[in-house]
Amino acid sequence: MTRPVRIAVILLLALCVLAPVGLVIYQSFLDGNFFAPTTRFTLSAYEFVFDDDDFWDALRNSFIIAAGMTAIAVPVGALLAFLLVRTDLPGRRGIEQLVLIPMFVSSVVLAFGFVVALGPVGIVSLWVKGLVGTVPWSIYSLPSLVVIAGLTHVPHVFLYASSALRSLGSDVEEAARTTGAGPLRVALTVSLPMILPNLLYCGVLVFFLGFELFGLPLVLGDPEGILVLATYLYKLTNKLGVPSYQLMAVVVVVIIVIALPLVAMQRLLLRSANRYVSVRGKAAAQRPIGLGGWRWPALGLIAAWLLVTVVVPVVGLVLRSFLSGWGEGVSILGALTTAHFRELAGFPNLIRGITNTLLLASVGGALSVAVYTVVNLAGHRWTSRWTWLMDVVVLLPRAMPGLVAGLAVFWVFLFVAPLQPFRQTLVALWAAYTVVWLAYGMRLVSGALLQIGPELEEAGRTVGATAGRVSRDVTLPLVRAGLFASWVLIFITFVREYSTGVYLLSPGTEVIGSLLVSLWGTGAIDLVTALSTVNIAMIGGGLLLMRRFGQRAGT
Amino acid sequence: MAKLDIDGLHLRYGDTPVLQGIDAHMQEGDVVCLLGRSGSGKTTLLRAIAGLEQPSAGRITIAGNIVVDADRGVFVPPERRGLGLVFQSYALWPHRTVQDNVAYGLKLRGVAGAERSRRVAEVLEGVGLGALGARYPHQLSGGQQQRVALARALVYEPPVILMDEPLSNLDAKLREEARVWIRALIKRRGLTAVFVTHDQVEAMAIADEIVLLDGGRIVQAGTPEALYQDPATLFASEFMGSNNTLPVQVQSRNGGTAGVLLDGHALQGTARGSSADEAATAVIRVEDVAITDQPGPNVLPAEHEMSVYLGGRYEHVFRVGTHQVRALGGPVASGAHGLHLPAERLWVF
Repeated sequence: MTRPVRIAVILLLALCVLAPVGLVIYQSFLDGNFFAPTTRFTLSAYEFVFDDDDFWDALRNSFIIAAGMTAIAVPVGALLAFLLVRTDLPGRRGIEQLVLIPMFVSSVVLAFGFVVALGPVGIVSLWVKGLVGTVPWSIYSLPSLVVIAGLTHVPHVFLYASSALRSLGSDVEEAARTTGAGPLRVALTVSLPMILPNLLYCGVLVFFLGFELFGLPLVLGDPEGILVLATYLYKLTNKLGVPSYQLMAVVVVVIIVIALPLVAMQRLLLRSANRYVSVRGKAAAQRPIGLGGWRWPALGLIAAWLLVTVVVPVVGLVLRSFLSGWGEGVSILGALTTAHFRELAGFPNLIRGITNTLLLASVGGALSVAVYTVVNLAGHRWTSRWTWLMDVVVLLPRAMPGLVAGLAVFWVFLFVAPLQPFRQTLVALWAAYTVVWLAYGMRLVSGALLQIGPELEEAGRTVGATAGRVSRDVTLPLVRAGLFASWVLIFITFVREYSTGVYLLSPGTEVIGSLLVSLWGTGAIDLVTALSTVNIAMIGGGLLLMRRFGQRAGT
Repeated sequence: MAKLDIDGLHLRYGDTPVLQGIDAHMQEGDVVCLLGRSGSGKTTLLRAIAGLEQPSAGRITIAGNIVVDADRGVFVPPERRGLGLVFQSYALWPHRTVQDNVAYGLKLRGVAGAERSRRVAEVLEGVGLGALGARYPHQLSGGQQQRVALARALVYEPPVILMDEPLSNLDAKLREEARVWIRALIKRRGLTAVFVTHDQVEAMAIADEIVLLDGGRIVQAGTPEALYQDPATLFASEFMGSNNTLPVQVQSRNGGTAGVLLDGHALQGTARGSSADEAATAVIRVEDVAITDQPGPNVLPAEHEMSVYLGGRYEHVFRVGTHQVRALGGPVASGAHGLHLPAERLWVF
């Protein structure tokens, strides 16, 4: 790419990201909807929100949940990583495949699973009640929410901790062993301190994810009136009876203001995280540490986590979708039916939701990967102030939860005249999805691009190819496999996404995720479980595709 | 006229100056070695010639065409300089066969069909890889990959070929063979070549002219013989060859000669450099020290300390007062000896 093309791409990207954010900030200082004829600049929206007790409740809950789930997810994830990467735990190869599942299942779907399995009349709850006479837990409470959020975010920590442990040369551990330290001592005094920066990064990441939580609190917190910032924003639409954009904008600004420093901190930590981690050409065979008698308790611990976090909600949900109804006294075998899936076919909007999801995830996902690739190439091996701008711009959507970004993109399509015809089409939805997952997609693609040594491209230049020709003849052919893997991961991500489409939901732009959120509000549990099962099946298809092509999950 | 002219070249990475005023003129058909330690700027200079780095000041002219003129904002991109560059890592494209790697430069120049195949086959034959065209780079040994990289840079007959430590990834034996045949190949084709290395032995073996760099500046340029036998500075004298470096006191300076004291022993040496200080450094090549049992002028009394067998001869370490002096020769009995340091070979800086 030539310099003017690079600059043009970066400016276009900046426009696409800054326009929604700018519009939200602008809206937050108005006293009415931004397209209304008579609006004035005022702080009244801020005054209203900051006077609302619900807002402060939501803010407090968000912090409690974020802190609580960090305290659960980081130690459990680090322990899991250590057990699966560094010890002789039986069956660790197979378990590793299962650990990441909660990352790929939509969290709103997982939440439904917890309700139908462990809710007051859940399948597991009633079985336990039959045994001991009462349900000894309540799923609709803040502590339950914290525990479930914590357990479902273990994979995020596992992913980073395990890759750090793997790239840690076993020579440093062997050096400690030869100096006279036992295996446990090595783990505590050498391995753990060396991956501590990575764990710190995970901590900030999980806290940030907890702060942006939407699906779990919407499903598990709402029945008891437990609000978090994202659900407060979602409920705000009904607060005054009319859509009050200025209030929503204020909440969005608050979310961005809190999230942005967290995102910046993650970047900073990530830079220092790999300080001790040396990537070496020789794959030094790591000798696993013998667990001895601790093997079985350790295996039991992992099995318990998998049971609670994956098996119970997913199996519960899928089972429920095949039951005609559920309540006390219903026999599972007697109630088996496929009727709900046939019912789905009776709702044109649900069928459209399924086809739209597939279209958006496959074709849209490929287009998004193309966009991420072009943006990446614009900043590829270029040291300039412009790439700094690009980094900052890419960071910004990361600080916007899907719900917020979807709202902002919705407003842009409402506001910009040439875009208005596209507002109720998949184009608007695709734009929102692409912006929301910009940082993730950029990282996937740049990972593939950075695997190519700069001299391969320089060699192309010196034998006489222009920069564009080198991109086409050298760079792209070499990253093709990496781009395909990126596409599969983006496919799964788009299938799973539920919050971005919420405000863009209209006839023609239904996707499974946003339909689930709105159906849940109507209490149509049969349809919700059937549609969730379809969603899980689609994600399963994506995962199979990924395994077939031998790509490792995650970043 | 010179094939490659570099005038007043400056280059910086951010705020760090890397090249600080390089002037060099390379003649048609010469093999020029850029020699220096890591960080001396030798690779940066090569990359600046190739167009992969942008100088902040100065001019580069290749075969009469100005490719860089910082004052007038001229910067010709690498693909329009028409040079050949061999990378240290070879940088062969892993997704293309040997043939396609080599043919790419011709394809870009619009050479098609039979003509292209003929020239690729010819150049592969020239580097001794005639039969391996259909292979992929990962199916070749390091030495073969290195030849492919060279073939790729030669195939479109560039006026100047640039090589960035092309031998550093080969093992010692292969390296000695490669420098002989690379020099022969360059000479046979009448090319102008710029060759970067940190190895002074390699530089002397392959170059017509050596440009010694340090800290982004040229220390000395000249033929290998001139650099080895007539170094202008202490740095140049120490960089080339294997040396004894001794701290001395200057007693007298008389034209080209200097009388010095080493641990109280008076010696005559050749004055070099421009220093007029009393404290000076004397340098003599290890092979110039003669072991003798006859006392005489410039003979130091020495105690034999240890010997290392190098194959065919020994390197002996002697103690002279508080200093160590190394010399080459046949077997030596332990005990006292004399070391003769010829005045014309003992350089005082």
